[in-house]
Amino acid sequence: MSIEVQHVTKRFGAFTALDDVSLKVETGELVALLGPSGSGKTTLLRIIAGLDFPEPGGGQILYHGQDVTDLPASQRKAGFAFQHYALFRHLTVFENVAFGLRVRPRATRPDERAIRQRVGELLGLVQLGPLAQRLPAQLSGGQRQRVSLARALAVEPRVLLLDEPFGALDAKVRKELRRWLRHLHEEIHLTTLFVTHDQEEALELASRVAILREGRIEQVGSPETIYEHPASPFVYDFLGNVNLFRGRIEQGSVRIGGVRFDAGGVIGSPETAALAFVRPHDIRVTRCGKGQSTLPARVVRFHTVGPVAHLDLERLDDRSCVSVQLSKEELQDLSLQVGEVVQVEFRKVRVFSEDYSI
Amino acid sequence: MNPTPRLSRTEGGSRRRATHDPRWMRALLVGAAFLFLGLFLFVPLASVFAHALAKGIGPYLETFQDPVTLSAIRLTLIAAAVAVPLNTLFGVCAAWAIAKFDFRGKQVLLTLIDLPFSVSPVISGLIYVLLFGAQGWLGPWLAERDLQIIFAIPGILLATLFVTFPFVARELIPLMQAQGRMEEEAAMVLGASGWKTWWRVTLPNIKWGLLYGIILCNARAMGEFGAVSVVSGHIRGQTNTLPLHVEILYNEYNAVAAFAVASLLTLLAVLTLALKSWVEGKQAASLAAASAATSP
Repeated sequence: MSIEVQHVTKRFGAFTALDDVSLKVETGELVALLGPSGSGKTTLLRIIAGLDFPEPGGGQILYHGQDVTDLPASQRKAGFAFQHYALFRHLTVFENVAFGLRVRPRATRPDERAIRQRVGELLGLVQLGPLAQRLPAQLSGGQRQRVSLARALAVEPRVLLLDEPFGALDAKVRKELRRWLRHLHEEIHLTTLFVTHDQEEALELASRVAILREGRIEQVGSPETIYEHPASPFVYDFLGNVNLFRGRIEQGSVRIGGVRFDAGGVIGSPETAALAFVRPHDIRVTRCGKGQSTLPARVVRFHTVGPVAHLDLERLDDRSCVSVQLSKEELQDLSLQVGEVVQVEFRKVRVFSEDYSI
Repeated sequence: MNPTPRLSRTEGGSRRRATHDPRWMRALLVGAAFLFLGLFLFVPLASVFAHALAKGIGPYLETFQDPVTLSAIRLTLIAAAVAVPLNTLFGVCAAWAIAKFDFRGKQVLLTLIDLPFSVSPVISGLIYVLLFGAQGWLGPWLAERDLQIIFAIPGILLATLFVTFPFVARELIPLMQAQGRMEEEAAMVLGASGWKTWWRVTLPNIKWGLLYGIILCNARAMGEFGAVSVVSGHIRGQTNTLPLHVEILYNEYNAVAAFAVASLLTLLAVLTLALKSWVEGKQAASLAAASAATSP
């Protein structure tokens, strides 16, 4: 079952939450909506679920090619997991999961035995069988989120929508649940769209990632594409783990701190101020620069975590910070001292003109 | 050897805290509170029963065979039976609208709900006299059609409705606002209709608060004096409620009967208090569960 969002616009008073957003999630895909808070990702998810509606004439939502824009949430058959779980606090775990089956009209409602069986299966799936008679208040955060997923799956939804599913959990539980969700998706292949502000989560889980910024989609692509070829300075900045250099574009290359670097293609207008992005692992550090394209910098500190070494440098010209990632062996071969001056080379640099936006 | 013997001794040994007052101070404060409550609450309460039973149980019970007393009891029950369900219905609707939706005039509605609390009950009664009385705005129109509201049962019902108007709504609004709309949204996504969402999710979540509001509303409906007094006309056997009947009996120096009827209202108050503290306990427990359920 595919989900299609066509030119959806949504305003709250004077604030435009979504501005002409289009997105297609193919059948069986696991797609992440990634963006900072206030970028409209939760609003988009709620509109897909039918909990919010686009402006009149402001776009359409299609499930499997069928227009559901005007259908209320109760008739869309979407599974939805809320960020804060929204479990029914007065019902046991079992009854929470059974809820969607019990509220069906008499004609389509399964009998008690079928309900027991289905709920039992789902509680097994989320590994909560022994806790069936507990109340939500007696569960941990991770357990509550799993109940909420089981409850969403109980109604055999056409699509699964998850709003910051792991947002309120601690790092360890989050990792476990992430792996579990990946596994679940491989097993049941339900079209899934999840919202997150955690780039690591999006890149690790999703088969495709859509990045939202101020109510617009900035880039859609596979995690590799998003990470290796960010389409804009915003995406670079948001994904983090990158060095930003300010400079000037000159004849297809970029001048940073008086030194010209070969940019290998420039995005945006020529001969203007430029933003150059270099990933920490695309920087080479040497004692004496071989070519002309090197920047001098002073070693501030370095430390190793497992096989990876992190190096913090400070440029001599404007004292800005440069972070470098290299292997433990490379660091040992360099045998650096704190305070000494080294030369910085870029293996790969991505340059945008400063006025560039999508 | 314990490396920090001094620290562990101070922690385990003395339980003194900065906020602990000396023993005599505590005794004085607690004693003063009990003395005050005894003098101003318990003694008057006991005296109601003492006066009522001053001439023995016979005259006490005789009071409740008087048809006029029985009619006052009946009218009080009717007033409560009309006002409590109507104001429960209204309170739930208003709280639902205010807590779960955003609309223009929300603040105005909130202020209006509080109006009966901020207006003196006598004024509330007077409003109806000025509206429906013989000299009132609608008086001539009603007189033409031979409809009597003031000095009749409809007036008493209206006045009771007015003064008991805020109890249920006021109780539910903060509760429903704190609970938010998330569980209702979850129910809807799971395919529940509005009606089923109300019965299976909203009502179970507010039931203790609702019961609490109903108990308070009922106590006020049965005990209201000021507003009802203005519109009643004090016609014995016809438009007297229990509180008004107490006043009439007392003014006639019929102390035993007056206090006998008063004892009935007192028992109602004691029963209300007991119910109220029981429901409060239940509500606190369910609120604690609610906050535990939403916090990660």
